[in-house]
This record gives sequence, structure tokens and C-alpha cells, in this order.
Amino acid sequence: MGIRFQDVNEDLRRIVLSGRLDTAGSEEIARQFGELTLTSKAVVVHLSEVRFLSSMAIGILLKGAKAVQRMGGGLALHVGENEVVIRTLEATGINQLIPTFEDGQDAEKAVVK
Amino acid sequence: MSPSAAQPSAALTIRADLWEARRASDWLAAAAHAQNVPPDQVVRLDHCLDEALANVIRHGGPTALSSPVHLQFRVRRQAGASTAELSVSDAGVAFDPSAGIAATLPPASLADATPGGLGLLLIRNFSDDLSYRHSQGRNNLTITVSWRDEPSPTPQS
Repeated sequence: MGIRFQDVNEDLRRIVLSGRLDTAGSEEIARQFGELTLTSKAVVVHLSEVRFLSSMAIGILLKGAKAVQRMGGGLALHVGENEVVIRTLEATGINQLIPTFEDGQDAEKAVVK
Repeated sequence: MSPSAAQPSAALTIRADLWEARRASDWLAAAAHAQNVPPDQVVRLDHCLDEALANVIRHGGPTALSSPVHLQFRVRRQAGASTAELSVSDAGVAFDPSAGIAATLPPASLADATPGGLGLLLIRNFSDDLSYRHSQGRNNLTITVSWRDEPSPTPQS
């Protein structure tokens, strides 16, 4: 499991998650992910490299989306064609709460005002 | 082959902690591979296993954390259809993940959303059947997935 980020410009932060975000793996990235969502108003979380998404990981995404929203910004998810991630998000209804896109550019357009 | 042929079962005992849950996932993958369970079915069981063990660890209480968790995996094959059963037995607080799941609906808005209950939603969605019993101080949860077997290629004459 991994986490990396890129500040594209002053407005947009890309966070890339990868690997196995089971409960144990999610605990490992929770703190850094939380910090990254506290300091940017437009965040796209790329999940296309994730091969396992637990409810713990979804909880971390929810917390981050709420934090960005409280600052007047937006967080979107880029899932690509990752069927496991898409199914997990659909099963929990989270794709109805956090804007979710197959295309990364569409996700960035959605959060940059 | 008999109408319903059970393959030899695999078993593992772990401690109730998250890193042992990783070991359990590896064990499940190996056991399923050995019995030719399709990869997409293994993904479903793997998610259910992670969520079930997370529930035990987070909500099972001190007895759950100090007692072993027993896992068992079995595949049953019938003509054209197969099932895989994963059983999780723990000594934690009595809890039936198969009950009350219907009331665990996705939240209506981001503001309303909390992580609570998401694991149960995943277990329900990724399994085809759940059965639960509490016996001799242990929770016994069986998670079942089912699939249609691909027909064998017709031999060329």
C-alpha cells in the first residue's frame, strides 16, 4: 500500500493511493491522508492503482471529503476502470456522496472552481 | 463425482489483530487457489474476511482480543455450480452480522455519512449468503459465495 501526492498548482492537490488498503493498510495511511486533506481546497484522490478497498479506507476518504468541504472546497475520486474499487464504492453508496470519475481530468475539472 | 462433492477443508488459527488478518488473507488466497476458485470470487471472500476480522478486533471486546480466531474454508461443487464457504469463529461479544443488515443503508448525504456500518454493507454485498450461530461462547459466522462453473471444453475427435 502506498500514498503519494502532487500539488499541481495552488488550487489543486493530487493524492495517489495504491496497493492493498485493507484495514491494516488503511491505518498506515490514515494520518498522512488526513493531513493532506486539511491543507487544500481542491483534492483529487486517484484510486486506479488500489487493489483492495476496505471500509476503513472508505472511512478515511469520507473524513477527508468532509474536511475539504468544510473549507469550502471539494474532493473527487478518480477510479479509472478499477472494478474492485468501483464495486466497493457502489456497495457502500459512497460514489453517491463523493463525486467519482473514471477519467482523471474530469475529476480535476469537478473540484477546481 | 457425487451430486455435491465437498473438497477437503483448510483451516487456520490466528490471533485477533490486524497483521494476523493479513496472514489470514494470504492463507485464504492459497487455499482458494489450490481448489481452483475463480479469482473474482476470492476477491469477494477476501473483502468479507477483512471486514469480519476488523469487526472482531474493534468490537469484540477483551475476550476476543485474547482468544484465538479459528478460520475454515471449504469448497463444494455440484454439476455446473460451486460454492465456497469461509467460517470465522471468535470468542468476542455475541454479534450477528447477518441480522439488522437491512437497516444499514448508505447515508443520504456526505454530512450524514459516518464510517459505522460500512463494513457490514460490504460483507452483505460481497457475499451470497451469511449464516450465524452463537455456541459455547463463540460467534460462528459462515460467509458463502457461489458461482457457475465454466463448461469444460469439448474434446476434439
